[in-house]
Amino acid sequence: MKKYLWYVLLLVLFLLVACNGAEQDDTTNAEGDRDQEDNSETTIRVAWWGNQERHDMTLEAIELFESTYPDISVQPEYTGWDGYWERLNTQAAGSNLPDVIAMDNSYLNEYNSNDLLVDLAPLIDEGTINLDDVDDVYQEINHDGDRVLAVASGANALALVYNVEMLEEHGFDLEPGFSYDDLFEMNLTIKDALETEGQEYFGYDFANAEYELLNNYVRQHGMSFYNTEGNGLGFEEAVLVDYFEWVQEMVVDGAAPSHDIMMSYIEGGNSMVQEGSSAMQTAASNQIIGISQGTEYELDLAVLPAWDGVHANYIRPSMSFSITAHSAQQEAAAKFIDFMTNDLEANEVLQAERGVPISSAVREHLSDKVSEPVQKTFDYLEVVADYTTDADPLSPPGETEVRGAFSRIVESLKYDQLTPEEAANQFVQQAENVLN
Amino acid sequence: MTKTKKIPASLTLASNRDKSDHLAGFLSISPWLIGFILLILGPMLASLYLSFTDYNLLSSPSWVGLANYRNLFSDARFLKSLEVTFTFVFVSVPLKLIFALALAMLFNTGRKGSSFFSAVYYIPSIIGGSVAIAVVWKQLFGRQGAVTQILSLLNITDANLIGNPDTALSVLILLVIWQFGSPMIIFLAGLRQIPTELYEAASVDGASKWRQFFNITLPMLTPVIFFNLVMQTIQGFMTFTQAYLITGGGPLDETLFYAVYLYETAFEYLRMGYASAMAWVLLIIIAVITLVFFLTSKYWVFYQSEGGR
Repeated sequence: MKKYLWYVLLLVLFLLVACNGAEQDDTTNAEGDRDQEDNSETTIRVAWWGNQERHDMTLEAIELFESTYPDISVQPEYTGWDGYWERLNTQAAGSNLPDVIAMDNSYLNEYNSNDLLVDLAPLIDEGTINLDDVDDVYQEINHDGDRVLAVASGANALALVYNVEMLEEHGFDLEPGFSYDDLFEMNLTIKDALETEGQEYFGYDFANAEYELLNNYVRQHGMSFYNTEGNGLGFEEAVLVDYFEWVQEMVVDGAAPSHDIMMSYIEGGNSMVQEGSSAMQTAASNQIIGISQGTEYELDLAVLPAWDGVHANYIRPSMSFSITAHSAQQEAAAKFIDFMTNDLEANEVLQAERGVPISSAVREHLSDKVSEPVQKTFDYLEVVADYTTDADPLSPPGETEVRGAFSRIVESLKYDQLTPEEAANQFVQQAENVLN
Repeated sequence: MTKTKKIPASLTLASNRDKSDHLAGFLSISPWLIGFILLILGPMLASLYLSFTDYNLLSSPSWVGLANYRNLFSDARFLKSLEVTFTFVFVSVPLKLIFALALAMLFNTGRKGSSFFSAVYYIPSIIGGSVAIAVVWKQLFGRQGAVTQILSLLNITDANLIGNPDTALSVLILLVIWQFGSPMIIFLAGLRQIPTELYEAASVDGASKWRQFFNITLPMLTPVIFFNLVMQTIQGFMTFTQAYLITGGGPLDETLFYAVYLYETAFEYLRMGYASAMAWVLLIIIAVITLVFFLTSKYWVFYQSEGGR
């Protein structure tokens, strides 16, 4: 009897210890870091999202970092975009965010307003993060007053990725200045021509970026998507109705594919432009690098359509890096960000895949070393610089939900279940509900 | 003197042993008990509390009273998710049970190979809820999937069934019905419990097969049907994986299952408080429906041991 009791006790103790141990592993990395500090080694956790290619390049750059700073070791945490924020959000709730996280513009305000990000300004001032070679334009959007919330790892701008030969063949070009209606006409013409040859042609691929395109559209009207206070929309409903009319016309008349076809390409990780069933799509400029792989077509980047001759592009930082408030190793984290921003060798490895490097020294160094599509993103940013207006303030917390509402309404619109007026009305209502 | 001394001594001994017995008992169930308290009871109480707050995962919760519960019933998407889930449960559960019963009866005839086939038909329900099957299903019914192409070759339809708002839910229902294995096995066990004398006596009296089915098989099976009905209904309300992976709740929210909307609210829109309220409403819905099953069971479930109704 007594013996039996001892066994049970032992088992319970074992379980308790096991539970406890697991918990420490998961939640208190900081403690582990402190232990390791005694051996003069610091561990920082770095999280980012991306595809396999980006993971491989980033891991290689991390190795370089570790050999440059032998006293710092990096524990990478990477996933695809799907699930990245869900993972970070739960880590945030458990006060267990990685030291360095890849930040997206749409989440910057949400994380900042919940005090999850460290102000990088002191680290930049003291030179731990060296931004001497960086033009202000690349960092503008990452400021909150005097606070610096993130450092961009690349810059890009919204663009059209298009098939050069296909457009030439049908006598079109995409020199800046073409209109939304021109896109409609072009795609119908190409579609007619190709379909008589028996080829499949879907038309303009929105690539699920109707939201981003609208952002540009309202800017072209001199408005902004969100108001400056961040508690409501910053554009007139009539503008949205116009935009929705255009989107619906594109899809219903066949100048763009139906929603389910578009989504099936995206979910399958494929692209119509890549396979030649579309001549153009909306994309962030750095996406041309991915799309160019696995296609024999020559692709290029074009500036977004003009509205009434007006352009309103802006260059945006992409895949910024932030240091989180949970980090106990801010110094080491800052060194990592500095390394990714300025180290020439690391940037050779990274191939500007996150966007055009923000440091002019790195850009110069890379200019003759990068592949052709990467070179195109460099060129494009120079071209688009002539067609930009000031960037908008950061989108308010709750943007994710507004975007969710927008996608659902665009879906109904494309299935012709809502008129543009109804759709605009519904969206404005739902967005105001979320933002208030 | 000696006697009176002995008695209390033995009493204390006995109660000591009682105590240590209790202790041993608690200790031996302690792994489960600790697990239950830490992993089930704790989170449940936490979510009950959070359902009265505006918790957003990133900052600390503040009390909002019943606001979450009140807002639910003016939330069009919430109502849509209820409609979708109820439709799904009311269509898929009966169909699944009928299917399971029909096959169980087929395999119960003891024909050659019936145990092999019952094993084969059980496989989908082991793997059916898995991520891999959901992905395969998505491929099959997707735009260039095999099923889609066959249907279009046969000139039945050109449509991508999971991308079409009118048919997406049906595809998911089909997938769930296909996983009829576990109720089938339970039906099979139930069928084997029915004494064969009953059928022999009925045949002697000249009862037809249909008559035997309705007057012997079905009544004798009611406890098993009851069990399957309750389990499958509960499972149906909690369906998540298939819808989340195959359709993601779309197109046009036509497959926005309750659990999918809950997940979206909690982890994408960070409305933890609201999602917690949804979780509790789901608990209440399931509890009420199960209660209705139990209360009505005395009118239609037949237990042999009670000697009839």
